[in-house]
Amino acid sequence: MSTAVGGQVRDSALRSSKHALRFDGVTHRYGRHLALDGLCLEVSGGETVALLGPNGAGKSTTMSLLLGLTRPQAGTVEVLGTAPRLAVAQGRIGAMLQTGTGTGLPSHVRVDVMLRLVMRLYRNPAPFDLTVERAGIGRLLRRQTHQLSGGEAQRVRFAAAIAGDPELVLLDEPTAAMDVHSRRSFWQMIHQLGKQGRTVVFATHHLQEADQIATRVVVINHGKVVADGAGATLKAAVTARQVRFSCPSAQHDRLDSLEGVTDVTVAGDCVVLDSLDTDATLWALMRNKVDFSHLEITSAGLEEAFAFLTGSGEGADNGGAP
Amino acid sequence: MRALAAFGRFEAGRLLRNWKFLAITVGFPVIFYMLFLGDHQAGRITDGTVPWRVYLMVAMCTFGSLVAGLTAAGGRLAGERLAGWSRQLRVTPLPGWSYISVKVTATMLVILPVVVLVEVVGASFGGVHMPAASWVELSVLMWVVALPFAVLGVLIGLLVHPETAFPVVTGLMFLLGYFGGLFGPVDRMPRGLQTAAHLLPTYHGASLGLALLDGRGFPVESCLVLAAYTVGLGLAVLQAHRVDERRGVA
Repeated sequence: MSTAVGGQVRDSALRSSKHALRFDGVTHRYGRHLALDGLCLEVSGGETVALLGPNGAGKSTTMSLLLGLTRPQAGTVEVLGTAPRLAVAQGRIGAMLQTGTGTGLPSHVRVDVMLRLVMRLYRNPAPFDLTVERAGIGRLLRRQTHQLSGGEAQRVRFAAAIAGDPELVLLDEPTAAMDVHSRRSFWQMIHQLGKQGRTVVFATHHLQEADQIATRVVVINHGKVVADGAGATLKAAVTARQVRFSCPSAQHDRLDSLEGVTDVTVAGDCVVLDSLDTDATLWALMRNKVDFSHLEITSAGLEEAFAFLTGSGEGADNGGAP
Repeated sequence: MRALAAFGRFEAGRLLRNWKFLAITVGFPVIFYMLFLGDHQAGRITDGTVPWRVYLMVAMCTFGSLVAGLTAAGGRLAGERLAGWSRQLRVTPLPGWSYISVKVTATMLVILPVVVLVEVVGASFGGVHMPAASWVELSVLMWVVALPFAVLGVLIGLLVHPETAFPVVTGLMFLLGYFGGLFGPVDRMPRGLQTAAHLLPTYHGASLGLALLDGRGFPVESCLVLAAYTVGLGLAVLQAHRVDERRGVA
């Protein structure tokens, strides 16, 4: 993961695994609001990274810094081995930003005219037809930009983001205005981008979808990384397994002291144990002759993992970076 | 350079293909001119050295370029900023300065037909007769003189919300037009207003055109005032654009 200091230009394999982006102790505040608090993050070339976090966690600020739209007040941001603004000027980054209420497109212009313009802004753009195919906007080319629906405009903006054939693609809440169906096909397109060897970083709220596509999930809260890993690793790292069963005579205190158990919920006959080690908990249940039936072990979803991580921001500080 | 050329062509095409917008922008000053021509009482007033009909045409050329400058840039640019298109362009290799310079250039492109059309109306209905060379000279001069209006339009577009752009543009249009003497010679106004007129780019824009036609000598003051406006507004545009870029997160 970390390259040796002396070995930076030793061979091409090393160079290709060079960081696509690097945040080093980046702090940024808007007025009194601390958006980023000494953020440290490194992403290698070819990774597809999901940036998760609640609103105001610092995701959009992270994107802004990566594009050089905002300059960090402290710390350094490096993109593709250079300054963000330079990487943008070299046409090595493509981005889809949040647009709020707007479409993010110029009005009164045909989609193909707009897309051809964006292509010409880059030195080595992808062929027009390929971009159209990748974004699936063949049907929309002859339409005027102000006649597009929200989801259609998103696709067109996605096409604009990849028109320059960039090494790094940044997508800030790319599926915000989409229904479930278009979201699914949209994630498919993003998945393809990653497969082409590009580095993709996207911010999203749709955790399950992110989990399916991202090779790595980074959870940000209060301007810091609170969890970082593959979707599955993340889930495992966070308690994240539950033992559920029915028991007519459940005693809260007795269950709470069982091996592995971190939390007990009893509702009528129904018992839910959060456990760090379900095997140990099961043996303990049997040893203690707990009268259980309908036993079931479930893995907590990323959704719960996420809620856990961001809900206990203070607690996560202990396990985080010093 | 390639990116700049592509964006320039795109913007010009977008403006010139928007027929409704062009018809209103070009048509408004022409209709205004026609209304003035229909007012026969006004025909007795002169600006001293130049016949009223010539004065009116030059004034309407200036008014027309003011209208075109403010509307072509102002409201549209404000709308683009709100929609997020200018932010999207900022994450492409297109340099920030070319965005601004293309906006000014495209606005100048819209101003040219306005100037020419007002002159065509002047020659056919306004009773203005001149040698061909003078027409060409006047056209070029009136077009160049419109530069501060185009820059002012871009500045408004960078500063205001689309909803406030309309009242701001309309207000400035009539204030600068009236007090700059475009709806009637300044020397009929009270003394205080006459002095004020000498501070406005509209007054000096028209003055330059009139000076060309009546040979009253090179109006150094007008050139200086217009140059000062262009530079001052230009610097304000650069500053506004810088602030806009830094805003980053919406």
